[in-house]
Amino acid sequence: MRRHGVFLLLMLAGLALGGVYPALAGDYYIGVGLTLLMWIALTQSWTVLSGMTGYISLGHAVFFGLGAYVMVLGWSAKLPLLVTIPLAGLVAGLLALLVGAPCLRVRGPYFVILTFGLAEFVKYVVVSVEAGLGKAGRLLFATPSLETLFYIMLVLAAAAVALCYGVRRSRFGAGLRAIREDETAAETLGIPVTRFKLTAYVLSAIIPGMVGAVMMLRSTYFEPLQVFNPITSFTIVSMAIIGGSDDAPGPLLGAIFLVVLSELLWANAPELYMVILGALLVVFVLFLPEGLWGRIQKLWRRRQAA
Amino acid sequence: MDILLSGQLLVSALVLGALYALVALGLNLIYGTMRLLNVAHGDILMLGGYVAFWGFTLLDIPPVLSLFVAFAMAAGLGAVAYSLIFRRVLTSTAVLERIEANSLLVFFGISVIIQNLTGLVFSANERAYSYLDQVVTIGGTSIGADRLVSLIVALTVCLACVLFFRFSRVGLAVRALIQQRDAAALVGIDTDRINLLVFCLGFGLAGLAGTLISMTEQVSPFIGFPFTIAAFVIIILGGLGNLYGSLAGAFILAGIEVYGVALTSSSFRSILVYGVFIAILLLRPQGLFNRGSAAR
Amino acid sequence: MSALLQVEGLSKRFGGVQALNDVSFEVAEGEILGLMGANGAGKTTAFSLIAGNQRPSAGSIHLDGQRIDGLRPDRVSQLGIARTFQIVRPFGGMTVLENVTVAALYGRRRISGFTEAEALAREVLAEAHLADRAELPAASLTLAGRKRLEVARALATDPRILLLDEVLAGLTASEVAEALEIVREIHQRRGLTLVVIEHVMRALMRLCGRIVVLHHGQKIAEGPPQQVAEDPVVIEAYFGAAPA
Repeated sequence: MRRHGVFLLLMLAGLALGGVYPALAGDYYIGVGLTLLMWIALTQSWTVLSGMTGYISLGHAVFFGLGAYVMVLGWSAKLPLLVTIPLAGLVAGLLALLVGAPCLRVRGPYFVILTFGLAEFVKYVVVSVEAGLGKAGRLLFATPSLETLFYIMLVLAAAAVALCYGVRRSRFGAGLRAIREDETAAETLGIPVTRFKLTAYVLSAIIPGMVGAVMMLRSTYFEPLQVFNPITSFTIVSMAIIGGSDDAPGPLLGAIFLVVLSELLWANAPELYMVILGALLVVFVLFLPEGLWGRIQKLWRRRQAA
Repeated sequence: MDILLSGQLLVSALVLGALYALVALGLNLIYGTMRLLNVAHGDILMLGGYVAFWGFTLLDIPPVLSLFVAFAMAAGLGAVAYSLIFRRVLTSTAVLERIEANSLLVFFGISVIIQNLTGLVFSANERAYSYLDQVVTIGGTSIGADRLVSLIVALTVCLACVLFFRFSRVGLAVRALIQQRDAAALVGIDTDRINLLVFCLGFGLAGLAGTLISMTEQVSPFIGFPFTIAAFVIIILGGLGNLYGSLAGAFILAGIEVYGVALTSSSFRSILVYGVFIAILLLRPQGLFNRGSAAR
Repeated sequence: MSALLQVEGLSKRFGGVQALNDVSFEVAEGEILGLMGANGAGKTTAFSLIAGNQRPSAGSIHLDGQRIDGLRPDRVSQLGIARTFQIVRPFGGMTVLENVTVAALYGRRRISGFTEAEALAREVLAEAHLADRAELPAASLTLAGRKRLEVARALATDPRILLLDEVLAGLTASEVAEALEIVREIHQRRGLTLVVIEHVMRALMRLCGRIVVLHHGQKIAEGPPQQVAEDPVVIEAYFGAAPA
């Protein structure tokens, strides 16, 4: 317990801050806060797989989109939120379980483009299904208030942070990191590589599924091309790489940084924002692979040694 | 069933296949020699399309001439990209180790940059122009003159490339480099110059394809991406580094698309392309024509 | 002494290459068995098959009477076989201590707590003469250090049999001496069964109680070091390799 004291303190502080935030901020900034919490939840979950094992998923939007779809169907069926949101997570997890085994056999860049291809495939299948059902987009009515959504997302984000933090420090996480370093050596040391990779993949899918469901309630308009948007996947990867993907603080930093940047630029120059995002990704991948958090840690270690 | 036998579909498949071949060839060359997955490849194509568009609407230059300009511009871009960025990247061992998985992300970032810069400069609106709109009839099949020209040019360029790689010394050097990077350097092949040539040629082919495509399709900052995806599917289908494989793969994919859509509906196009993509990666990642286990 | 490890009729084919052809030998508990042969003789392939990194094309492998060929490497490790790699594979991004701690967490003793695993790791690092480098990144070690890390990692899984693949290759004379000392200490202190692949003839002769000689994937000799060294078949195969 003592080892995790700082983390628990920060978590409580964050929850407290989040708790009072809607009362203090106007509607617009509650929306921004909601967006930030969404990205936090997504990137922390993504890190459990991609940061820990090195299997970079460029298709995480598929879980988000699937969760949104579950919400759309569930809302129309008048199912209570307490059912649909976990159901969305479950469906996302099931998809990961289903495709994970064959997909995780593929390594390196092929895994990256495979996840991308998978997300696009599911997207167009959903487009077809909706077209087949005669639906050109769906509307959701009487959705919960922005504040309610904010609180739900706060819980999801906190859960995601806790998950990432917990995995990183667990025996399971040590095994994942060994897999990232050298899969063959890891397996030879007794780590059940296939099972662990699959577990990480499923874990990384559940919260994004729930996040997608919640965000569906915010946008109220379901359009497959939007909810399965590859830009979502790209943004998740960028945030994690810029912030640092080895531990929980990294994606947190990345999400905050890019949400702030987006707030400054998106309204007037969305293309400029994307250009900067692309440039940052290139720079960080090539020259700062440890991300902002990793860089901070390095400087801290250097100062300690001096 | 009759529709499957129509000349129209065959022509469509051939035209698409020839264009795909140009794009895939360029991508495969860069991958084969340098193990770089150029996700921005389609965006080079897009820029070539803009060259043709502006050339035609502003300067009245027919696309068959702006072909050369587009090729030159794209090749120039390739030279710049290589000299400034990738030569350094390929020689730094620390970065080199991370290169394969990371080149994908790097090129993805570059793609985003190119697409959005173009959007900033040219606006995201779609542009089109008419050129060689007349319909020509050959042997009972009607085809637009513009598509006919596309087909002829694309096939000619592909043939030229095949001959180049088969019979020229430089072409042989490229093939050697693809097969065995380190050994090629050992036998005296100047890998740096070949890399530069490959970058220029690969980009140039994409720019060229873009011009041809602009004759029949609308041009916008985002048209490149579907071609990038198609090119990826093709080079994996045909086998990474396997140049002839990508030619075959191009026509196979074009066939699947054209005939698949004819049998189902146009909204199925993406499902087919991505379906093939996933299937190949999962079932036979070394491609249809490469022997041996997965390409790593 | 009953055989701890039994290899029978082991064969492995890679495409057109027959890497191993009908190889059989036994390893008794507590002995140090040497595996000798020219490059390409099939020694590392044999290790890969035993440890589960590859599946045999034919033949069987038994550990303490239990059939283990075809099992995944993590399963084989749980049953008590550890191996080092000829080309070392350290977890470069982790510290030396973390490398061994991970191994301890997934070893045969089923340790689940980090504190216990770390304690075991430190013990093992001391045995491998790496205690002073514990907090350093594994990537910063010299080759000799990395080879010792490889051994330490394997030891931390608490194996019954340790397969050492050319732990002396690339080391200077003094590093070789230190490595041999470590290996001997491990054998004596733990009573560990060792199978050792080596090219350094002198070391092999002095270390091992018995040697198996492979050539082009087949076993051509087996016996005590002196006998093997004087075997005309072996001499002919080696053509100039100097016996001790």
